Amino acid sequence: MEFTNTTKVFTCIQCGKCTGGCPESGRTPLNVRLIVRKNQFGAQVKNSHLWYCTSCGTCTVRCPRDVKPSEVIFDMRSTLVESGDISTSIQKALENTFLQKNPWGRARSKRAEWAEKSGVAIKHISDTLEKRLLLSCCVHAYDPRCHVIPVNISKLLTYSGIEFGILGEEECCCGNEIRRIGEKGLFEELREENISNFNRYDVREILTLSPHCMNTLKKEYNLPKLKVYHYTQLLWDMIREGVVKIGKDYKKRVAYHDPCFLGKQNGIFEEPRYILKSIEGLELLEFSRSRENSLCCEGGGGRMFYEVEVQYERNAKIRVEEAYELGVQTIVVSCPFCLMTLEEQAVEKGIEVKDISEILVEVLE
Amino acid sequence: MKTGIFICHCGHNIKHTVDVKELSEYFKEIPNVYVATDYAFVCSEPGQEIIKESIEKFELDRVIIASCTPSLHGELFKDLLKKSGLNPFLLRRVSIREHCSWTGDDLKKNTEKAKKLILAGLFSVVHNLPFEEKVVEVDKSALVIGGGISGLSAACFLSKMGIRVYLIEKEKELGGHVKRLNNVWPYEKTGKEIVESLVSELVKADNVQIYTGARLELLEGYFGNYNVKITADGEREMNFKVGGVIVATGFEPFDPYLKPELGYGRDRRIVTTLEIEEKLNEVVLPEKPRVAILHCVGSRDETLGKSYCSRICCINALKVARMIKEGYENAYIECFYMDVRAHPKGGEEFYEETQVKGVFFTRGNVAEVVPLSRCVLIRGEDTLLGEVFEKEFDLVVLSIGMSSQSENKRLSQLLKVSLDKDGFFMEAHIKLRPFDTAVKGIFIAGCCSGPKDVEESINHGKASALKLFGMLNKGYAYVEPFVADVTEKRCSGCRMCESVCVANAIKYDARKRVVKVEEAQCMGCGLCNATCPSSAVTLLGYSDMILMDEISGLLARL
Ligand SMILES: Cc1cc2nc3c(=O)[nH]c(=O)nc-3n(C[C@H](O)[C@H](O)[C@H](O)COP(=O)(O)OP(=O)(O)OC[C@H]3O[C@@H](n4cnc5c(N)ncnc54)[C@H](O)[C@@H]3O)c2cc1C
Ligand code: SF4
Ligand code: SF4
Ligand code: SF4
Ligand code: SF4
Repeated sequence: MEFTNTTKVFTCIQCGKCTGGCPESGRTPLNVRLIVRKNQFGAQVKNSHLWYCTSCGTCTVRCPRDVKPSEVIFDMRSTLVESGDISTSIQKALENTFLQKNPWGRARSKRAEWAEKSGVAIKHISDTLEKRLLLSCCVHAYDPRCHVIPVNISKLLTYSGIEFGILGEEECCCGNEIRRIGEKGLFEELREENISNFNRYDVREILTLSPHCMNTLKKEYNLPKLKVYHYTQLLWDMIREGVVKIGKDYKKRVAYHDPCFLGKQNGIFEEPRYILKSIEGLELLEFSRSRENSLCCEGGGGRMFYEVEVQYERNAKIRVEEAYELGVQTIVVSCPFCLMTLEEQAVEKGIEVKDISEILVEVLE
Repeated sequence: MKTGIFICHCGHNIKHTVDVKELSEYFKEIPNVYVATDYAFVCSEPGQEIIKESIEKFELDRVIIASCTPSLHGELFKDLLKKSGLNPFLLRRVSIREHCSWTGDDLKKNTEKAKKLILAGLFSVVHNLPFEEKVVEVDKSALVIGGGISGLSAACFLSKMGIRVYLIEKEKELGGHVKRLNNVWPYEKTGKEIVESLVSELVKADNVQIYTGARLELLEGYFGNYNVKITADGEREMNFKVGGVIVATGFEPFDPYLKPELGYGRDRRIVTTLEIEEKLNEVVLPEKPRVAILHCVGSRDETLGKSYCSRICCINALKVARMIKEGYENAYIECFYMDVRAHPKGGEEFYEETQVKGVFFTRGNVAEVVPLSRCVLIRGEDTLLGEVFEKEFDLVVLSIGMSSQSENKRLSQLLKVSLDKDGFFMEAHIKLRPFDTAVKGIFIAGCCSGPKDVEESINHGKASALKLFGMLNKGYAYVEPFVADVTEKRCSGCRMCESVCVANAIKYDARKRVVKVEEAQCMGCGLCNATCPSSAVTLLGYSDMILMDEISGLLARL
């Protein structure tokens, strides 16, 4: 397919910083620098190469010429989406999102199913005073493994007397992944629907549970008046101010995995670590690739809905192997995508993967 | 009145977005305009010749030059008028570059705006009067700020030429960064040697005062007569007078913590070129060390807001490679670069020799550095092969670039000299006046205006010193006659002007109950003019009439 360029591609100096840092380049046939180069001339690019990108953002964060290589890839994907030149699984995910506002096409009425498991009373946002919206991601909403995250956060907030509300079945996919798959029109629709919900209920701040939602709400929604943050930020504030008291120890060797959308792309590295460090007995270890150099789990950018052509050693496996060598017992994450991808690999090695809220609930006073 | 209008293209700068031909055609038709013409570079020799010839031919008595901002080439055009036998104050400059062509690229709108700006000049130039310039005596002394190689070179030169020099250095010792270098390319000398020869000269000279641990607190006045206040050694306060100033505050090495993916500070095996230079003998390496040298760290990088090339770090990387190779014959050294910019004389040859000596070069901007227990792993792409690599090293050297001196911000306010987007001092004109600032009598030397190597810094320092010397040596200078003037009849003696005057130039005459302006002291700031409730103060050259006529020009219907 031939593509036209819409970003700053002509200023690329072909330095290779993007490729060198890309978690897919070198492991799969994707070479992001080459894609940018070809895009400059409108030269042929193999369609399949574009779908390895996990939208981790490393290339864009580091590019010395601000070319935004990942955006070049998303633009090229949109050409494919427009012409229908995409795999059926991606096609399906897009259709599902159009119809049911989630990529799996699960019933919208079941969006807040997790709330029943929480054991605490959860209000609709309209019934709250402070208009603090707890926004779950499609993964939290529909994957039973991830239900525990909104459940835990709701419990922690309720016990601490922090008011919040949810949108229930009105909640809709944030579109972060959709935009990265290249379906810009659908992203716009989702964005509009979400914004009109926020406006209708006079939402003042949004507590996001997924770094992916946080990222798009912060950077791609244009909501200057709304405070958008990640739950690890709130949890750390609660611990620091003594609203949440840790009463038990957690005697395990733990490594924290920085999610790309929280760390690299949004600079939140410390809060999750502060939380873990405040737990007695917990030994916090670091992966060799951590913080800015964290190794992408490969869950983003549409990769959740798409099986790539080439078989290769998955990053999650590399990650788990390092954890094993370090003697880590628990890998801690703060993103539902990372939870899913890492857990799949960790089970074999007998390492547990936990969301940070799961640990916190265990050690509560 | 016979007016001539000269419109500059500024090469592409103005012509690109303003229809200069239309302008000259338009103004030709206006009565009293005897000549209206446009030219590629009005400031060039042929451009000046055109103006001179027109003045003589048409016996012009008012001249309008529509070009760059008046703060540029001010002296040049004034001299031109003088040479053409016309009083220099009969010139009016109109900025159609900064105020017009650079503000947008709509040709039609810009051309209209340019017309109005020139009309404003044309309407008000009638009020320009043939003032006489004031002559003031110049103090044959200079303040040099910064005792690095460029400041030292400037100070030595001035001292030799008989100018009294006050050199202030914020650190305890003179020498700047050069003093920290173990091996200065291409001199094959230690920085200490280079610095010390200059310092000893200065110490011996009887017309040089050196202050270390010093800080400039205040600079007031104008070329020839600056009052300076400094503190030295922490507290000692000192006041003196100088004729001119040379700023030589140098640079700051790039802070590698700002590139976290390169792992600096997380492991002892990741160091900067400056650290290696200072303490290569302290670094413990295996017998056959594997060393990676990363170019462009902190330069050519928009993520840091530093898009410039630091110009010394390629040569520096080569130099460090050679230093290591000398200490460890069997070392495996690989440089990772985007481009090898070995531009100084002999640089390319040095590059080739380095390759011959067995240093490897790989084209690729390293993406990440991961310290492991057995090695330091670097990941990047060999962009010529199109292959991603992960390689193991025992030492990773970051070839850091230059950042602007953080003190520059404060100094720029004290000296009223602008900084560029990267925080370096701005030249009056990058090509035509690279040593001058926009402020008369204040010059720049060395890396304070951007990255340079030692040789360039020395030359820059000497050149600035030479220019300042030329001005000081005359012994006198012209000062603009644009001072405040009080119409006694109107003055009610309220003394409000006195309270705002920054130069202490307003004196109250208790007997007459009016104020008077002390011409020699007045800086022409106009505060009194704006403050006076009785409109008794006029700022010569900027009268209300001039401003009103300018406004009429701006509002004129075309
Ligand atoms: C790692 C490295 C290696 C290098 N190797 C070489 C080489 O081999 N060959 C080569 O040609 N060049 C080399 N260079 C470049 C060389 O260091 C510079 O060209 C040179 O230092 C510039 O001199 P300078 O006087 O302009 O600035 P500086 O050396 O930075 O000196 C400026 C001085 O001003 C002082 N100062 C700053 N602000 C104030 C203030 N407000 N008041 C008073 N004093 C102030 C500072 O303390 C300092 O002493 C290297 C640079 C680096 C970073
Ligand atoms: S990092 Fe940016 S400039 Fe470098 S090759 Fe990639 S797109 Fe081009
Ligand atoms: S976003 Fe991540 S996966 Fe995609 S090209 Fe950039 S670095 Fe590679
Ligand atoms: S001199 Fe070389 S290393 Fe330094 S910024 Fe320029 S290209 Fe990069
Ligand atoms: S213009 Fe007026 S306020 Fe300014 S220095 Fe002169 S007398 Fe003082």
